[in-house]
Amino acid sequence: MRLAPYFAYAKKCFLGRSAYRFDHLMGILSTCMQFFIFYEIYVALYGNNSEIDGITMSMVTTNFVLSMGLGAVFSPDDYFLPNKIWDGSIATEFLRPISFKGRMIAENLGNALFSLVFHFVPVLVIALLTVGFNAPASPVMFLLFILSAILGFGVLWSISFAVQMTSFWLVNIWSLITIKNVFVNVLSGSMIPLWFMPKWMSGVMSFTPFSSIYFTPVQIYLGQLSFSEIALKCAVQLVWIIIIYFIGNILWKKGQQKLVVQGG
Amino acid sequence: MRNVIHLIGMYTKTTAKSWFQYRVDAVLKSLAVFLREATGIIVIWFTLLKFDSLNGWDIYEMLFLFSLLFLTYGIMIIFFTGLRDFGSTVRSGNFDRFILRPRGLLFQIIFVNSDWFAALGHGGLGITLFILSAGQVGIQWNAANIIYYIFTVAGGVLIQGAVFLVLAALNIHLLSTNSLKNLVYWNARKFAGYPISIFHKAIQIFMIYIMPFAFVNYFPAQFLLRKDDMSAYPEIFMYLTPIIGVVMYMLAYLFWRFSIRFYKSSGN
Amino acid sequence: MSFIEVRGVSKTFKINKRRSGVLGMFANLFVPKYEKKEAVKSISFDIEQGEMVGFIGPNGAGKSTTIKMLSGILHPDSGSINVGGYVPYKQRKNYVGRIGVVFGQKSQLQWDLPVIDSFELLKAIYSVPDDVYKKNISRFTEMLDMGGFINQPVRQLSLGQRMRADIVAALIHSPEIVFFDEPTIGVDVVGKETIRAFIRELNQQDNVTMIFTTHDMQDIEKTCNRLIIIDEGAKIYDGSLGGIREQYGTTRQLDVEFAGKENVADIENVEIVDLEHNKKRFIFENHSVHINELMNHLLSNYNVRDINISEPEIESIIRKIYNREVAEI
Repeated sequence: MRLAPYFAYAKKCFLGRSAYRFDHLMGILSTCMQFFIFYEIYVALYGNNSEIDGITMSMVTTNFVLSMGLGAVFSPDDYFLPNKIWDGSIATEFLRPISFKGRMIAENLGNALFSLVFHFVPVLVIALLTVGFNAPASPVMFLLFILSAILGFGVLWSISFAVQMTSFWLVNIWSLITIKNVFVNVLSGSMIPLWFMPKWMSGVMSFTPFSSIYFTPVQIYLGQLSFSEIALKCAVQLVWIIIIYFIGNILWKKGQQKLVVQGG
Repeated sequence: MRNVIHLIGMYTKTTAKSWFQYRVDAVLKSLAVFLREATGIIVIWFTLLKFDSLNGWDIYEMLFLFSLLFLTYGIMIIFFTGLRDFGSTVRSGNFDRFILRPRGLLFQIIFVNSDWFAALGHGGLGITLFILSAGQVGIQWNAANIIYYIFTVAGGVLIQGAVFLVLAALNIHLLSTNSLKNLVYWNARKFAGYPISIFHKAIQIFMIYIMPFAFVNYFPAQFLLRKDDMSAYPEIFMYLTPIIGVVMYMLAYLFWRFSIRFYKSSGN
Repeated sequence: MSFIEVRGVSKTFKINKRRSGVLGMFANLFVPKYEKKEAVKSISFDIEQGEMVGFIGPNGAGKSTTIKMLSGILHPDSGSINVGGYVPYKQRKNYVGRIGVVFGQKSQLQWDLPVIDSFELLKAIYSVPDDVYKKNISRFTEMLDMGGFINQPVRQLSLGQRMRADIVAALIHSPEIVFFDEPTIGVDVVGKETIRAFIRELNQQDNVTMIFTTHDMQDIEKTCNRLIIIDEGAKIYDGSLGGIREQYGTTRQLDVEFAGKENVADIENVEIVDLEHNKKRFIFENHSVHINELMNHLLSNYNVRDINISEPEIESIIRKIYNREVAEI
């Protein structure tokens, strides 16, 4: 497999983003504003308590800055396939001598890399200069955090991939994508730190892939997990990627067959 | 008049029919809007299961605060979807087409894209929250309070409508207002359900004087609930919502009339 | 007074000049910098009822701006427009009910719905009476051979089918004037012929006034009897299709096949080009060289087997006009 065309797509996306600099700046401002608001909400909730259930305010702050920052990086284009099916351009897409899935990944990675450098990093710096947050528990934990964050991106990407595949049959899947994003937002820990979820909810959530998107990396960063727990949680991330991607891939194959039969 | 009602019916039928080309999506649409908007509520609900209250506001009082926001938005969006999406109407050249049809421009903007399913989702959430909370927060639903409530909802609808109208008119001057709208409206709206007293002074000023969400829900809720944190603000703020709504909407409408004359087609 | 009267109309656009850099980005937002572009410069013309007029010109010449002013989308900065007693941009609601507009690049049909649903909606928008609507639909769908796809969703149509449906959509309310902005763009040859034939027929039968813009000279040659050329916002030609040959098409070429290899001596004001075999091409201006004299000269001095005179194609003349290669006489 030649990788050059995929690099070209990734680069195109990376550079394409820099054309909308004003939008981009506003995006950073939006993330910061959200971060500050959640910070203030938790300051009010904590009141005079220095910690609740062993969780300090600075851990909460770290959870928000990391999960919101990663949230900005992890933004797969949910309409990559649906738009092409809706406007009919999917037919010509398959004529290109490159893998459609490969291109999808390449473009998402190009976008993610751009957001990492020009969105995540500025947000971290602003947060550091204002309210501050915890340093990683140790250099080793920091490396494991990066590994786990990459796996988290994999989980989020495969969920988006599988949902998009339904557009072969449904064409318009705005509702499904919106509902998917509600689950991701609430259950991944980017809006409520998962430590504060009620017990029964934590039980339910351990059967879903969502907490492994942001919360696992955050826990590793804060040094809350032992090495054996880290190994287990990363394995869970990997298993989710495999299962969801596998389902998505079945849909992908069936969808292509359907497209061939109907001729677009 | 019958002619106009028939046309509105046709627009609605066309929009609904377009959606029902994709049945699953259409059926799930109201639910999706309901859930998306409920995200913030679900979060506050989980949070208050843990923390009991936020600056003196318990869960039902919070739900009541949120319900005003969603109810007013749900009513507003029945008519204002087209204004919310006006930027893309201009950019795609569809506004040229509106000009070429023998009907009022604002009329077409409002009725061509009216999104009843989304309105159902928003309004439904507002009503659900109201029903859940109205009996639990100790409000005497006497005539005075009911009249106050109705005026307040009307004011809240007008305030948000005015913001949409101004943002739509700005599209004629600037090519893209999406990021501005995100920053000023959508971001602010995510937090407008919280009592503003918990926020930094700068954010409070923003919510009171710039994007006055505080008058959509916080101050009216204070009139009905009288929480302690109201002491930080002038008493009169609790009575201003309808006036602010009318004044803002009038100014916004004048700005719209003024702007529409500058429309230049997106060209070739 | 003519049916359509355009007098000294001008339109200038302000174009947002973008500055670069982060500071420039903020500056753009708060203090935009503009550059003026004169899209249309003092254009005047008259069009009578029932005429078919083609507007041509290179990209950015001001054709679309002119059409947009005539149809009421844009206000002219100066000058006046009167169409059938209306000022388009002032009496918008009354005026636009009497015109139809087809944008080749921008469909007005409902993308997700069958064609017929868009027609029904337009019937309501224009308050077309039932009998008129039925008559128009059945007549136009037959003329354009649309029976096969009128119940299909627009998104499944070919470009040619979609364009035909779009043309009918613009005619449902029986407009007196129809504007076509690039009506055959992207349509295949057969489709183009169908559309042109339909337009001719409609003009002849209903005396509908029609105004085109197009890039395809064939559209004009096969439909219009009058041509207006616009370039850089100014009108540079207004007259019949034949007239343009007389006015600009002064170049002639004579292709001569000789019996054997000939060395032709230079002739004053004639350019000689060698072609394959024993052929040569003689290119000259018909006002500086007399064709009879040139032919006599060749026939009497050389052994000529065949001779062929050709006029330049309209398309190449127009290309030359754009490129400023021919001067107006």
